[in-house]
Amino acid sequence: MAYVNFNHVTVKYPIYNAKSMSLRNQLVRIGTGGRLSKETTDIINITALDDVSFELKKGDAIGLVGHNGAGKTTLLRTIAGIYTPESGNITSQGRVSTIIELGAGMDHELSGYENIFRMGMLLGATRSEMDSKMDEIAEFAELGDFLAVPVRTYSSGMLMRLMFAVGTSIEPEILLIDEMFSTGDANFQEKAHARMEALINAAEIFVFASHSPELIQRHCNRIFTLKHGKIIETNPF
Amino acid sequence: MNHAIKDIEDSFNKLPMAIYFAWGDTVARYRRSILGPLWLVLGTVIGTLGLGWLWGSLLKVDYATFFPSLTVGLVVWQLIASSIVEGSTAFIRSAILIRNVKTPYLIFPVQVLLRQLINFGHNLIVVVGVLIIFSSALSWVTLLFIPNLLLVLGNLLWMILLIGLLGARFRDMEQLIAAVMPILFFLSPVIYRPDQLGIKSAFIWLNPFSHMISLLRFPLQGSVPPTFVYVVMVSMLIVGWLISLWFLNRKYGRIAFWV
Repeated sequence: MAYVNFNHVTVKYPIYNAKSMSLRNQLVRIGTGGRLSKETTDIINITALDDVSFELKKGDAIGLVGHNGAGKTTLLRTIAGIYTPESGNITSQGRVSTIIELGAGMDHELSGYENIFRMGMLLGATRSEMDSKMDEIAEFAELGDFLAVPVRTYSSGMLMRLMFAVGTSIEPEILLIDEMFSTGDANFQEKAHARMEALINAAEIFVFASHSPELIQRHCNRIFTLKHGKIIETNPF
Repeated sequence: MNHAIKDIEDSFNKLPMAIYFAWGDTVARYRRSILGPLWLVLGTVIGTLGLGWLWGSLLKVDYATFFPSLTVGLVVWQLIASSIVEGSTAFIRSAILIRNVKTPYLIFPVQVLLRQLINFGHNLIVVVGVLIIFSSALSWVTLLFIPNLLLVLGNLLWMILLIGLLGARFRDMEQLIAAVMPILFFLSPVIYRPDQLGIKSAFIWLNPFSHMISLLRFPLQGSVPPTFVYVVMVSMLIVGWLISLWFLNRKYGRIAFWV
């Protein structure tokens, strides 16, 4: 059974500027006994999540809200296991599917078909599994003959269709989606929402970052508001 | 070493994916060219003929021994150099992927190595051609090429991993490697053979790539590489893997922030 547990999790996000990324400045720092450290290495640490604890269990559909830069994407990546916390611990179980950044895992020179295999395998499916899902994905994405041409010719709406179709087809137990429904036409958005509802009804964990109150209302049964790295849970009703 | 061991395990499970990706990368690269991957073969042929003629005349050597030796040297050098150069961007190249999908990290160096291995496979056509034309002394010893190749690949993989990690953290790495590789070409026994240097050959053996080239060149020319080459390569394999896995383990949580 899928679950996610955050126990006093703090994630610090280091920002490396051009100076700290350079080997020369690291060498200078060693050479000067680190005394010049202020000028040579400017690694700014941003506390994106500050002592966060929560528990997600089967059937939870979380709406993540918060202004730009509040840490919504960082939280999604931490749940996915991409970012490791500085302190605290995370336990989770379940097949994770992430739809965070447009075009992740795609090779833009390859065709839509080939990219369906790529993304599916990235998300943990085997080649033969993807083979059997191909028709369903192609039908859902409604890209028709475009699936045979390189992905670099796709519009962002088409990329989103493809990513969403693959990301949801592998039957994830934990589905993490960042706000990306601004692309895609009305017709596809309606289809996507119907599929999300089906997934949520299949009692999986679903975390959805969005700026749209209607979408959150429609899909989510818990609301997390992120503010200065802290999470405040509010009642959706 | 928890993270590193878990990473090896996960990467191993994802091996079919790495193969599919490496193949896809190669296909994508040559998709719109008419000759496709044959360009690799053609490039090697042109390089070997040009350099063979030039250096052959300069060094006044016997073409029948010089050509096969040079061809093998160039092809192996290409495998080494492109692995190291591409290794510096092994993780940066896949930054979007690393930031969006939870993937074991070792898969990226493996992908770099597999891509180079695909190229190497194409180039071997040239090697076989040259060996046939010059009817080189092939024997059972030639079969040593296969275990030796595995030893070279094992060493290249830890190098790609380490350079890739350093390259993700320090963006100068890519430039540094690009600056150093051309001079290493001349310090490696590609054009010449170590024994031609006489007393100075000791310096050549300080260069790890010299051992890699010898390991593959000797069997293709029908002789067994010197024992010390094996000793150096096996020790390098063990020490290199320990260092790079230690580093991977230590910085495991930081990589996603670096890229």
